[in-house]
Formats: sequence, C-alpha cells, structure tokens
Amino acid sequence: MTQDDFDRLQTLLASRAGFRLTRDRIHLAEHRLGPVARREGFDTVEALLGSLWVKPVASLAWSVIEAMLNAETWFRRDRAPFDTFANEILPAIGRVRPGGLVRIWSAGCSTGQEPYSLAMAALDARANIEILATDLSQRAIDRARTGVFTGFEIQRGLAVTSMLKWFEPVDEQWRANLPLRESVRFARANLLDDVSEPTRFDVIFCRHVLTDVEPARRGQIIDGLERRLVDDGVLFLGPDERLDGDTVAFRPVNGRKGLFVKTPSALSRAA
Amino acid sequence: MTVRSCLIVDDSRIIRKVARRIVEGLGFEVDEAADGAEALLYCTSLLPDVVLLDWNMPVMDGLTFIRRLRELPGGRAPKVLFCTIETQPERIAEALAAGADEYVMKPFDGEILQAKLAEVGAI
Repeated sequence: MTQDDFDRLQTLLASRAGFRLTRDRIHLAEHRLGPVARREGFDTVEALLGSLWVKPVASLAWSVIEAMLNAETWFRRDRAPFDTFANEILPAIGRVRPGGLVRIWSAGCSTGQEPYSLAMAALDARANIEILATDLSQRAIDRARTGVFTGFEIQRGLAVTSMLKWFEPVDEQWRANLPLRESVRFARANLLDDVSEPTRFDVIFCRHVLTDVEPARRGQIIDGLERRLVDDGVLFLGPDERLDGDTVAFRPVNGRKGLFVKTPSALSRAA
Repeated sequence: MTVRSCLIVDDSRIIRKVARRIVEGLGFEVDEAADGAEALLYCTSLLPDVVLLDWNMPVMDGLTFIRRLRELPGGRAPKVLFCTIETQPERIAEALAAGADEYVMKPFDGEILQAKLAEVGAI
C-alpha cells in the first residue's frame, strides 16, 4: 500500500464512517485488507484499492470500511457500567414507565457482546425491555445475530454461571439460547445518518465508539444520540470517554464513570 | 496490602509456566504443584488466595483435590478457578458443584484469566 493509498483510505473512512484512521495504522490496514482483497477476487491489496479509487463501487467501499473499523468488544466490558445498568438504571426507569417498559439502544454493538450482556442482566431481573443493537458493519451485525461466540470470546467478561445459563455448545463454539437471541433486535445503522423521526430510547450504550471518531464528526454523532434519548434517559460512554467541549447537552454523573444525563439546557432546547 | 498468592496446579510444566507468567504479571506470588496430591499437601500448611486448577492429572485429579480442599479448615476461602480442556456443560456444572468459583476453558490468554480473576474478586 502506498502512502497515497493510505491517505485516500483515511479520507474514505472519515467521510463515510466518521472514523479516524490514525497514521500509525498503515500496517494494520495492509493486514486487515488482505482477506478483503482475496474475498473480492483481487491479487493484492494495491489492486483492490486501485480498483476502488478508479471505480468507487459502494459494496466494495463498505467491505473496505468495515474491515478497518475497531471491532474489539467484550461481554460486560469494564464491568461497572453493566452493574450500574442492572442495579440502578433499569429498576429506576422501569418504575416510571408504562408497563415498566425500558427501551435500550446499543449503538456500535460490534459482534453483539454488549447488547447480549444487557439482555442477560434484564432477563435475570425479569425486566420488561426492548433492545435495539446497531453497528456500521454489516458483517459484525450478521455475526451478532447468530449469537455464536468462540471459546475465547465467550470467556472475555462473562462469568461461567452466565455462560451455562444463556449459552449452549455448538461445534466447539457457544451459541446464545433462543430467549437471549430473541431479546435483541439487530440492524445495520450509520451514526452519521440523519433520522427525521427517530425512535427515542431510555438508555443508550455508545461505548468505545467516540474514541475512534474523527474530531470534526463528534458533534454530529453526539447530537444524534441526544435526539434519540428521552429527556430523563441516560447515556453510557466508555469509562474514559469525555464530552467536554463537544456539547452542552450532556453532563457527567458524579461517581459513575462514563454515565451521562441531559442538561437542563438540552431539555429546554427540545421543548 | 499484602501480596496475594496463587497456586498453579497442572501436570504440564509448559501450562504452569504460561499461567505463572500471566498471574505474576497481575501481581501474584506464585507456587506450583504438578498434581492434586501435591497441591493438597501444600494447602494443609499454607492456604493460597487463588488456585488455578487443572482437571485431569496423575495421582489426584482436580475434582478430588477441590473436594478435599473445601473440607480443610479454612479451605473454603481460596478462590479456585478450574483451567481445563473440558468444555461440556455437564462437566463444568460438576466442577462448580464441587466448589469451583470460576471456570476457564483452555486455550486461554491473559485477558481471559484477568477477567475471570476479576469475576471472583481476586483482583
């Protein structure tokens, strides 16, 4: 891959996905795009990219974009937010909703570990929930929907008792059982897309997503999250992700790393 | 805070070495035993905070070891993590019923071991 290829790749990721592909990722790009090139019938990564620059076929562009996204995820990643969700947020919001129904959005769900973690907690608590899980990557969504995880994936963050309760072994892997699979609805979605009449959620998990977002696109994505969150809802980001300077719509909750609520100014603006 | 101790029980020297490197990296002081009998003898004189326990071993297997350990005075205190190639749900349930706190399926890596140790509150 030439430097020019990489520059164009950076631009592609930034404009379509709002994804910040840092300079140090050129070797990672070579590594990740190799399988894409083979799958799409090109001899080399250079040939793949060369073709894409000459004739920007959308499906090929998205295959390239998807391969470069950061798909890392765990069950109950960082642990604390999932305890906060199960022990505090879910009962508190459920109490004040008709039928106790709590609507949850896992934005940037990758291969599904996060929404399944939320679903396990909610099902354990017999809470009434709807979970929508979205990701930019169609491949990630397709995998998430199968509910199948490798021995490595299933052990990252999941207690063995939860594994036995919610998963069954299938061909050396572990598949979420039907009640768990049916409790999450998966869809591909781009956080940059404008939604005219958005469904609003009580809880949004958008964790370890903003870290990789191109600075110029952060505001747009945060606005989108704000518009999709009810006034008394909560937003979970990664424990070290901040919104300082990006927005006045959210404020952090003291003592709960990564937890945000709307500010009074956001409420009046919405009214 | 005193240094936490971990006993690694596995008949494979390679596995012990790999596991030792990981748990030492997490700040544990490590000792090793090559089978359940050796581990039990160790535990009668000094109870570790954490035990990483293989299932199939010569002399005394992991399941027998944990049942005997749990009967020792103070023997319910150590956090015991099975680390084995057994992946059948029935076998895993058997290990938990015998007193295991967590269960690690081989192959594992440092992230998994760290997550499992966090799960039992050992780190």
